[in-house]
Amino acid sequence: MSETDFVVQCRGLERTYHDDGVPVHALAGVDFDVEQGEFVSLAGPSGSGKSTLLNCIGGLDRATAGSVTVGGVDLATLSSSELAELRLRRVGFVFQSYNLIPVLSARENVEFIMQLQGVSAAERHRDAMAMLDSLGIGELADRRPGELSGGQQQRVAVARAIVSKPVLLLADEPSANLDSHTTAELLQLLADINEQRGMTIITATHDPAVMAFARRRIGLQDGLIVSDQRAEAGG
Amino acid sequence: MRTSVPIKVLAQMSCRNLWRHRRRNVMLLGAIVLAVAFVLLANSLLRGWQAQMLDTVVANLTGHVKVLAPGYRDDPSIQRGFELSADYQPAVPGLDGWTSRVRVPGVILSERDTRGVQLVGVDPAQELQISFLADVALEGEFLASPADRRVLIGAALAEQLETRIGRRIVLMTQGSDGRNREAGYRIAGIYRASSSSLEKVFVFTGREVLQSLLDSEAVTELSIRLTENGQRNQAKDVLQRQFSNQEASTWDELEPMAASMFRFVDTAMLIWFSIMMAALAFGLVNTLVTAVMERNRELGMLRAIGMQPGILLLQVVMESLMIVSLGVLLGIGFGVLAVHWLSEGIDLSQWTAGIESYYMGSLLVPVLLPYDILRVLGLSLLFGLLASAFPAWRAVRVEPLDAMRR
Repeated sequence: MSETDFVVQCRGLERTYHDDGVPVHALAGVDFDVEQGEFVSLAGPSGSGKSTLLNCIGGLDRATAGSVTVGGVDLATLSSSELAELRLRRVGFVFQSYNLIPVLSARENVEFIMQLQGVSAAERHRDAMAMLDSLGIGELADRRPGELSGGQQQRVAVARAIVSKPVLLLADEPSANLDSHTTAELLQLLADINEQRGMTIITATHDPAVMAFARRRIGLQDGLIVSDQRAEAGG
Repeated sequence: MRTSVPIKVLAQMSCRNLWRHRRRNVMLLGAIVLAVAFVLLANSLLRGWQAQMLDTVVANLTGHVKVLAPGYRDDPSIQRGFELSADYQPAVPGLDGWTSRVRVPGVILSERDTRGVQLVGVDPAQELQISFLADVALEGEFLASPADRRVLIGAALAEQLETRIGRRIVLMTQGSDGRNREAGYRIAGIYRASSSSLEKVFVFTGREVLQSLLDSEAVTELSIRLTENGQRNQAKDVLQRQFSNQEASTWDELEPMAASMFRFVDTAMLIWFSIMMAALAFGLVNTLVTAVMERNRELGMLRAIGMQPGILLLQVVMESLMIVSLGVLLGIGFGVLAVHWLSEGIDLSQWTAGIESYYMGSLLVPVLLPYDILRVLGLSLLFGLLASAFPAWRAVRVEPLDAMRR
């Protein structure tokens, strides 16, 4: 497999924070690659470094040492403006608490990212509705986030994240605020997106249900990878 | 590929964000409306005062431009007069009216009292075109011609002299030969002016009559009234060329105190506006900073999904400008209504004695200039823009991770 087949490559990745002058090694030298179309789950207890790793891959945080490459681009070489551009066009985010724009409807939330990308109004509208329909929430398109349940909001967040067809979808504790039934629906949705669209997905979670859905499970502890298992996707 | 600026959706978000916190924003809007309306009304009253000041100075025998003999202002006597041909017509741009006068210090005597006054020989028809005599309340008759041998005196002077219409008075002054001259005249009318000091000072008679008393054919001043105050310097230059041996002066050169007060009004308007807008800016900054802090998480998320800082800044500025623009437009509307409501003027007659020295009459009529409205509009929007700078800067500095962790 050539270097360019990897969506994500981490080499000797370190991230050190300073808490009242005391260095905290959130990532202490992480090496791993993610191939196109993989569904990866970063698992580990709180403080293991999984969210930090996800943030470094998404360009929201900068590595103290080592390198992260996304789609062949070394993130260390990008300015903050270029990182924002990368996040906008190549990476989709699903956050723990949905983080939808409260004053926009579900459809407008989905369209918003395409507006930033300069997609035409007609194309935006068509793609957003198609995405919402495909995720089973087309009839809720005109509702605002406050009028939707947690599960529906998370579906809108997923629609927003994938509507512009990013190369990578990052989901940080996507099921944290959902009940088990809604979590199962969301995971099935992510699995479908991964299988049907071939989209690479990396989640950070300590929810066993999410881990069970991923085809590759990477265990983290104290900022280091302690396990890396590939398994058949299942429910 | 660059991120595009979705102006429409940003405007939509700004509107909805403003509506989301409508109670707070309605209060802010109310403050802007009140402040702008109040500033506009205050400006129009100050402009009204300024206009009144100019009218008063020009009408009180000064005119926009006046020609005097050199030295007349220090020694106002007929010896400082100058000849004016009978067919003289001033060719001055923007001319509204003109007259020539003989004006000398003198003494008026009645059976009861004696007072020092200014004796003014006028052509009544021309005088009515340019001086305060056109606006006085007159008891009795006006002078009929430059050869009318009767006099007009002010009501306050008549009271001091304990005299009335039809009675004879004696005018005494220094003639062209330096000798004292006196003559008796009958009172044709008594005028009531906007100021009692005018009534006490000016005694009018026919110009030819006063020239005869002074034994001179000279006049002491040529006074010009213009349609526009802004033309005075041009008119002065024209008159100076026509009367190269005399001195042409504008009203602001002749009345420096009035000119200072006139200029002060412009400064006062700016100071007043700045104070109101500074107070308002604090409220605006406070509200916008609160709005930014409340939306910290949302702003962090927008940064996380790839919104460029410049677009975030634009959204905060847009929100500020929207509420300021709406407030300013409504404020201007209410201000115009308030000015219209006061268009008959504010009666200041109970303070007349105190305000005379400020060149004010007993009725203050607000004057609203389009320039003042545009200035309030432009400066208010500028203040709004400046006030949004700090909140916008705070919004741009939001760190996505920090904001979303909260």
